[in-house]
Amino acid sequence: MKSNKRTHDFRALELKISEQSISPHTIYFKEHSVREHSSDKPSGRTLFIVNVPPYADEKGLKNAFSEAGTVNSVIFATKPNAEIQSEKFTKETCKLSFKVCYLVFKKVSELNKALELTELRPMNSNGHEIIVGMKKWIQEHNAAVELPQVLKERIETFMKTHDNKTQSEQKQEKQLEQQDDEGWITVTKGGKVQSFARTEKVESKIMAKEESKKKRKELKNFYTFQIRETKMKHIVSLRQKFEEDKKKIVQIKQSRRFKPF
Amino acid sequence: MVKRELKNSVSEEETALDVANENGKRPIQSSNKDGPKRMKTKSLYRQPTAAELNRLQETENLFNSNLFRLQVEEVLQEVKVKEKTVKRFQEWYNILKSHLISIPEDVKEYDLTEKAFEKHLKVKLPVTNEIRKSKVIFRFHKFTDVEIVGSYMLGCSIDSKLVIDLQITVPAETYTKNDSVNYKYHLKRAAYLAYIASHLRKLESIEEIKYTYLHNCSTKPLIHVKPNGKLGNHLSVHINLVCDSDTYKLHRFSPTRNNLRESWLLSVEQQEGADVGPPTPHYNSSVLTDLTAAENQTFLNETLVNKENLKQAIILLKIWVRQRKLQVSGHVMSMLIAYLVQMKRINNIMSSYQIVRNVWIYLKSSEWDTKGISLHKGQDTPSMEEFHTHFPIVFLDRSGYYNVCWQMCKGTYFALRRESGLAVDMLDNGKINSFIPLFMTPVSILMQFDHILKFKNFPKLKQAILDRAPKSSKVNYGLDQLALVTDTLYDLLSKGLGERAHLILQIVEEEFSWPVTKTVNNAKKNGYVENLSFGFILDAVNAISVVDRGPPANLPDAELFRAFWGDKSELRRFQDGAITEACVWDARALAERRAVPRQLVNYLLALKYDIPSTELYHICSQLDELTARKSAGGQQMEESALAVLQAFDELRRDLRALSQLPLDISAVYGISPVFSYCEPFPALGINLDRNPRRRANASLIKELHNAKLPEYTPVNKAIVELSHSGKWPGELDAFRCLKAAFHLQIAERLSSQHALPAHAYPAHVDVLRNGLVFRLQVAHPKEITLVRREVERGVVRHKESEESAALQCDTVLMPRLRGALHGLHQKHPAFGPAVCLFVRWLSCQLLGDHWPRSVSELLVGAVFTLPAPLQPPAQPAAALYRALKLLATTDWSTHMLAIDFNDDMSREDITELERKFAGRENQTPYLFIATAYDGPQPSVWSRRSPTKQVVLRTQLVARGTLDYLEKALLVDMVDSILPAFVPSLSGYDVLIYLQKRLVPHCTERLDAAQSSLAEEAVVDDVIPVVEFHPVDRYLDELRSAYGEFALFFHDRYGGDVIAVLWKPDVKEIKEFQTLNANALEQVSVGGETKYRVNKEAIVEDFQILGDGLVKEVIINK
Repeated sequence: MKSNKRTHDFRALELKISEQSISPHTIYFKEHSVREHSSDKPSGRTLFIVNVPPYADEKGLKNAFSEAGTVNSVIFATKPNAEIQSEKFTKETCKLSFKVCYLVFKKVSELNKALELTELRPMNSNGHEIIVGMKKWIQEHNAAVELPQVLKERIETFMKTHDNKTQSEQKQEKQLEQQDDEGWITVTKGGKVQSFARTEKVESKIMAKEESKKKRKELKNFYTFQIRETKMKHIVSLRQKFEEDKKKIVQIKQSRRFKPF
Repeated sequence: MVKRELKNSVSEEETALDVANENGKRPIQSSNKDGPKRMKTKSLYRQPTAAELNRLQETENLFNSNLFRLQVEEVLQEVKVKEKTVKRFQEWYNILKSHLISIPEDVKEYDLTEKAFEKHLKVKLPVTNEIRKSKVIFRFHKFTDVEIVGSYMLGCSIDSKLVIDLQITVPAETYTKNDSVNYKYHLKRAAYLAYIASHLRKLESIEEIKYTYLHNCSTKPLIHVKPNGKLGNHLSVHINLVCDSDTYKLHRFSPTRNNLRESWLLSVEQQEGADVGPPTPHYNSSVLTDLTAAENQTFLNETLVNKENLKQAIILLKIWVRQRKLQVSGHVMSMLIAYLVQMKRINNIMSSYQIVRNVWIYLKSSEWDTKGISLHKGQDTPSMEEFHTHFPIVFLDRSGYYNVCWQMCKGTYFALRRESGLAVDMLDNGKINSFIPLFMTPVSILMQFDHILKFKNFPKLKQAILDRAPKSSKVNYGLDQLALVTDTLYDLLSKGLGERAHLILQIVEEEFSWPVTKTVNNAKKNGYVENLSFGFILDAVNAISVVDRGPPANLPDAELFRAFWGDKSELRRFQDGAITEACVWDARALAERRAVPRQLVNYLLALKYDIPSTELYHICSQLDELTARKSAGGQQMEESALAVLQAFDELRRDLRALSQLPLDISAVYGISPVFSYCEPFPALGINLDRNPRRRANASLIKELHNAKLPEYTPVNKAIVELSHSGKWPGELDAFRCLKAAFHLQIAERLSSQHALPAHAYPAHVDVLRNGLVFRLQVAHPKEITLVRREVERGVVRHKESEESAALQCDTVLMPRLRGALHGLHQKHPAFGPAVCLFVRWLSCQLLGDHWPRSVSELLVGAVFTLPAPLQPPAQPAAALYRALKLLATTDWSTHMLAIDFNDDMSREDITELERKFAGRENQTPYLFIATAYDGPQPSVWSRRSPTKQVVLRTQLVARGTLDYLEKALLVDMVDSILPAFVPSLSGYDVLIYLQKRLVPHCTERLDAAQSSLAEEAVVDDVIPVVEFHPVDRYLDELRSAYGEFALFFHDRYGGDVIAVLWKPDVKEIKEFQTLNANALEQVSVGGETKYRVNKEAIVEDFQILGDGLVKEVIINK
């Protein structure tokens, strides 16, 4: 019942790529409503669409909803509420898959109009054609070839911003070293106060050290029960070995059943 | 030694006890005795008893052999004749015996040359017409007894295709003094046999009665009886005739004596006063085998009675021999055991395992071909030298006259010796459970031999050999012509192949039997085809040599060499200054050189016996065209790969010499399959685009509407390691940016310092050397750490992810693996081509994309590193068959492979791996192949694929392929076995047909014709368009977008069709979820709106995404 109620909010319409499409995909959309609205998905003007076909692009969706009104922006994501990745040096080629999409209309009325639509226009209209297949692959291949100067420039600008960023971070850390109002000092790795790196490796090293310290204090072969226990342990290990051996035989027996012919 | 034996016998008792435990007989008893209290303490921490302590201690010391012994017990239990069968047989035998005894004495005399006798009996004599030339008068003298002899009586028979030997001793008065010559003895024996057969026909308890030959020897017929009822399914009975030991004096059959007159055999008038003729040891032995049977049987009885361990050893040896299909009878094996007992090398106190081991060690170093052995004590018999001049293999029996191995061909003995050596090696190899390959793995012909020679017209060859055989050997072999042909051919082949072959072994067809009412000649006419083939195990190094060097021209041996080789032999001057006779074979490429044995055999048989090569059939190089580049005039893979490796070496030198880099280049490793000769179609280094559209040093694809696409050019990938530095940034993006800067610098320096066209990308540098494109990638372990890094509550953790694992595989593990595989190829030159064949087979079956390349390489590598029970193959095709067999017959859910390239793994490592394998989660990875270079995660290469479903499907296809190959090669002798590489497209849901001209490698398809390359100038200053593979891109898009709904299958090497299989769950009706709404359409089920995957839309998407590439999409009904 619960899921039924949820699907009620969604409207379903077929999204064609061109007029000739015979069996298009069905997209499902509703008004985007979450508690916290961000500036790029303003409340009241944003349409939330799921099951957008892999090849759909911005212009295509604008075309599809062009009867409702003007679309300000189109935001694609693989999952609802996915964080938008910050600018990176290596551009990751996004893998083709079904997506979700946020369509931001210019006016609130246009969104309402969109929710009332009974038919969508094909994506390939208004002189737009989605680039797919051979054309797309050739373009991608050619685009990957950068002039050395261009690459160099990109590297330089990125390193500059990166250096700036690290510098400001260091500055921040330095500031943290200062006493705050209540007299507390935050210990960071860049500061004067000696500290250790907070990594898993270091932590486990320290723990191991503690453990060995504890062991050194312990007396072995002191009480009779300890001697008895070590003997027993030896036998147990032998037994385990034997058991393993037998298990192996059973396994072989099961798989080949010792029938040579 | 003594102490140890004592210990062993103790532990054996324990083992026996343990086995009983496993059979479930003892636990009931013990639980009854001890009650529930004992049950509670049956944990690992219970109090040990003294006996248990003892046993455990021994287990520790003799772990391996203890495991071995447990398995031995199991298998002996399995092959033991069931008690039920024994009881049934005894009843049946009693009836048979009383029936046989009741045969009355017959006083009538028959002339065997006439038909009257056969008419009277209503059965035919089991002899050929040639034997009936002499006039023989036969009278049936009643025998006194019927005995059970052979393995069943001794208690060392195997309960599978069990044959029980009955023996009837023909009274001495049946034969006259003169019957020993000219097959009169044999004719009378046959008459006697027929007489018995005619009486047995009336017996109701016999379902079928036939004649057959003992060990395919046409002078020794037997009666083959199938008991009626259930007993007939379990066993059959052979009735054999022998004669009284006092029928003839043994010395009449000494190897130097003649008992078969030339005049009789060749039907020529005997010249008066001519001497008796050449010795006939072969003929003599055929009589001796009957004369000495009783004595040897008693001797075996005495030696083996109540010696259980000896008997068990014989059973084990018989299993071992049968698995290898060697033509060594159980009788010879028993006699060998008796001999070793006599020599005091083994005794009954030893365990069966120790006996078997000793037998193998003995056989390994035995020399029966030059230093025969004898069970006879005393000096009164012919000397050993005499036997050696007349028999290839000598093993004399108790009497000292009869050579037990008189029928054994040299090849068989050498095979036995070789296998013994291998068996000892296997026992000593602690890393494998040697029991399985020794006793449980049948060896099939196709797997065993590198090269098999078959004859399409055997009767013609046989006649040719008989015509050219010297008279003495003709007389010697008499009517046993097959033996003559086999021995002659063996000698010719072994002399011709010489060092090239480790082993030459004749392969004899199935045993022949025929109804008693038919004559042999009639029976042979319908159905039975006499045939012979030879298998060669080649020496990988010697077999490919193109020159056979003979003796220096001035030595007398040179004449012999010339006589043997005919016109092929010519005088040659070699680089070391020697002038010798030599034969030179015509072969250039490695693939051709591997086929030199075929050329050689063809030549020899044409020279000696006028057999044209069209009548010979070789199983060796049928698959060569799969590794040849059809579009480049059939250039073989190995030659192109060598060119790549040479260019890479030069490039490496250039890279090391680069100056003015912030960090020096410390090492360069190749990681592409081509660097270990594992790439079916290596880059050729030819740029056909004369007028490229370029950007900097790289070419671009022309975007014009009807521009021709550039030929697909693969890159050869390599990893570049820089010298150590602590200044790499600690943030992933910055790290990668710096890496890009290095790529830029390397490209710049390569261009300016070595004038090599190079182009930098963020992730790699492309550089052109000798027309070949190499893709260099700077790698640093810190990058992997950075990918793994994760901050959790302020603590830095390192977590393995798919991305980090992939990066580690590419940059750290692959260079090591590639190096190891390259080494493997150097050691076994068949490895690379075998991988290529396997990869092509997988790809042709549309499964190539589901098998990571390295997994295929490792699987084929296993054929070479874990060859037991065989030796690594020398021919790629043989390696392919073995790889397919390994894939098809292994149960991958319970078995793993541990591939040890350079003895890097210890026994403990392997045990540890086995533990990890047993404890893996939900059978992933399903195909578990571990190496010493896997890093922290064993079987890293198969971690994601192939999946269980893919493996099972591949196993199914492999089984089909093997069945087809066995039939096509061994039975039908077809010329092309490429149908094994053609997939069936039925069973797939959707087929996407592609534009053929856009498919890379489409000129290499199986059905493509060979074309030579148009010689065009190589444009040397620009990197061609590389790695532009439209089909791959299309498949990537399909898999990433629709991978959750369907599987896609494609042949990488020129396949113009993509086969699609829906996953089973796409048909299901689903509920709608915001997070999982992909490709759903609305359907109404019973008035309610439900959702289902919109298959039609997806199929339409296939067309949309492949715009320009897809020709048509067809839905299979």
